Amino acid sequence: MTRCPAAQLLRVVAITGIGLWSLAPIGLGVATSLSTQADVQAVPARWLPRHAMLDAYRSLLGGTGDVRAGGTVSESGAFAHAMWNSASVTLMSTLSILCVAISAGYAFARLRFPGRGALFWAIVATTVVPVFTVVIALFGLMADAHLIDRKLGLVLVFVSTTTPLAMWLVCNNVKELPTEPEEAALIDGCTRWQAFWHVVLPQMRSGIAALSAIVMLSVWGEFLIPLMLTSTSASKPVTVLIPEYVGKYTTNYPLLAAAGVLALLPPAVVALILNRYIRGMLSGSS
Amino acid sequence: MRDISLKVEPGELVVLVGPSGCGKTTTLRMVAGLEAVTAGEVRIAGRLVTGLPPRHRNVAMVFQNYALYAHMTVRANIGFGLKMAGMPKREIRGRVNQAADILGITELLDRKPRQLSGGQRQRVAMGRAIVREPAAFLMDEPLSNLDAKLRVEMRAEITNVHRRIGAPTLYVTHDQTEAMTMGDRVAILRQGALEQIGTPLELYERPVNVFVAGFIGSPAMNLLPATLDSSGDAWYASVGGSRLLIPTKTRAALQPFAGHDIVLGLRPEDFVSTEDLREGAHGVIQATVARAESLGSELLVYLTMNDATTLPLTVRLDRRAALQQGAPTRIGVDLQRLYFFDPKTGAAIR
Repeated sequence: MTRCPAAQLLRVVAITGIGLWSLAPIGLGVATSLSTQADVQAVPARWLPRHAMLDAYRSLLGGTGDVRAGGTVSESGAFAHAMWNSASVTLMSTLSILCVAISAGYAFARLRFPGRGALFWAIVATTVVPVFTVVIALFGLMADAHLIDRKLGLVLVFVSTTTPLAMWLVCNNVKELPTEPEEAALIDGCTRWQAFWHVVLPQMRSGIAALSAIVMLSVWGEFLIPLMLTSTSASKPVTVLIPEYVGKYTTNYPLLAAAGVLALLPPAVVALILNRYIRGMLSGSS
Repeated sequence: MRDISLKVEPGELVVLVGPSGCGKTTTLRMVAGLEAVTAGEVRIAGRLVTGLPPRHRNVAMVFQNYALYAHMTVRANIGFGLKMAGMPKREIRGRVNQAADILGITELLDRKPRQLSGGQRQRVAMGRAIVREPAAFLMDEPLSNLDAKLRVEMRAEITNVHRRIGAPTLYVTHDQTEAMTMGDRVAILRQGALEQIGTPLELYERPVNVFVAGFIGSPAMNLLPATLDSSGDAWYASVGGSRLLIPTKTRAALQPFAGHDIVLGLRPEDFVSTEDLREGAHGVIQATVARAESLGSELLVYLTMNDATTLPLTVRLDRRAALQQGAPTRIGVDLQRLYFFDPKTGAAIR
């Protein structure tokens, strides 16, 4: 294939542009997190810190930070706790969503039962309802169930909002698998459940990996629901905690940036590990 | 599926054959328990299994696309059914080795299915079936994904394995050569109904109707519109301007059709060239050679009849037959081997 040099150039420019567009804020965040408050507020703007220092991280994780990082902030407990909340809620939600979505998706793809189509589309249709239209009702419901400011409450809400989409993806994934190995397993002495466990599930490995990545990333980044349903460090995730660092009169920018960078790490790791599978699923060859 | 009544005897291999969509695979799947039976019953080894799930039927099935478990090694694939049955590991190992030995795939046992060729996968699928020593084998077009040479090889191999194991086998194919060469008996299906069941020779010699007659045999039987003339003692079938003397033995059955239209069936292999033609034994047909193909061992000739009908005729002749394209010729047909069918119902008249 011969490429026109102009097209080639355009391509390079476009890719560079997109790369800068998405990576520059992160780079700026990292730079800010390594700066002092004085660096950040310097006029004219100073993009890189004069002396990189980890004070902001120290004050987030290790208790008292240096004055240069923007004063002593005893945030250690709160931030670590929020990270833990985020991680545990994400993990529990993802596991629950996967369990429900995989079994439901498989059932809708393979089993024949009355009302299958109607039920399937009724469940999938719930994904088009925007969360903000139901927040008030949801809050009332959770309050009645005494699930405000509890991780269980968050997990339940995430399971109910994310499962339909996940189930839909699983259902399509299963439909693409050949039915014969399953039937061979049924003839080989398996119950439906055993055939699913021994034969279908192993075939779905990459699809499930991609799905767990998608679910984990979306749950980790949830903001509106936890903002509404959590109030203390008992359940508050990092996404809700970070905006609280924005003060009314002053904002500790290095601290804010450091918190952002740290909150970015777990999803980045997940994305890097499962990247191969996600690409596979998006391009339709899981 | 309607009115299918079929019994496979112990040690027998029955082939279900028919055009695509005739219900042969559905029949097989109903026996396996993968498809529900709405009416009637299925018995395996004398046991009623109609409502039972596949796992309680004690059958093994070989699928068209092999249906191997992609994530397991060949050894695990073959031993899977035994493992599910809770057999001790050492015994599984022994039986898998034995099955692999029968099929000559011992050196492949530690590979994954994707590392195998089509023929090897086919053997693994066979191994998975025989290792369980089931009450019956079901095979769904097991050879159709293989190339021609391998197909002939595996055909012999499956026949051998079947003889060795001796379990009743139901074998589905759309390939009539496979049906004729492998089946102890062959069942011909069309549109969900059983047309005829019998030994390959019975189907060839005595087809019950036009469909079976046209389906069995390659090239297919010539089915021609003809009229039945009776002039005194002699009865003739008039076809495309030629008259063929009807042997006395079939006259009784043809009585009701005297003077009417019938369908005349002529097998391509029952023709002889002009040189071999013997008056009395052979009827004579005047035709023109449209095309002749040499298969080496024989000559496949496509003719058109020398009258206004210009009916097409396919014949197989001795390879030495001297024929010229476009030239009119006299071709002989064995008068003892004429087939007659009712033009309305398609049923054989005999």
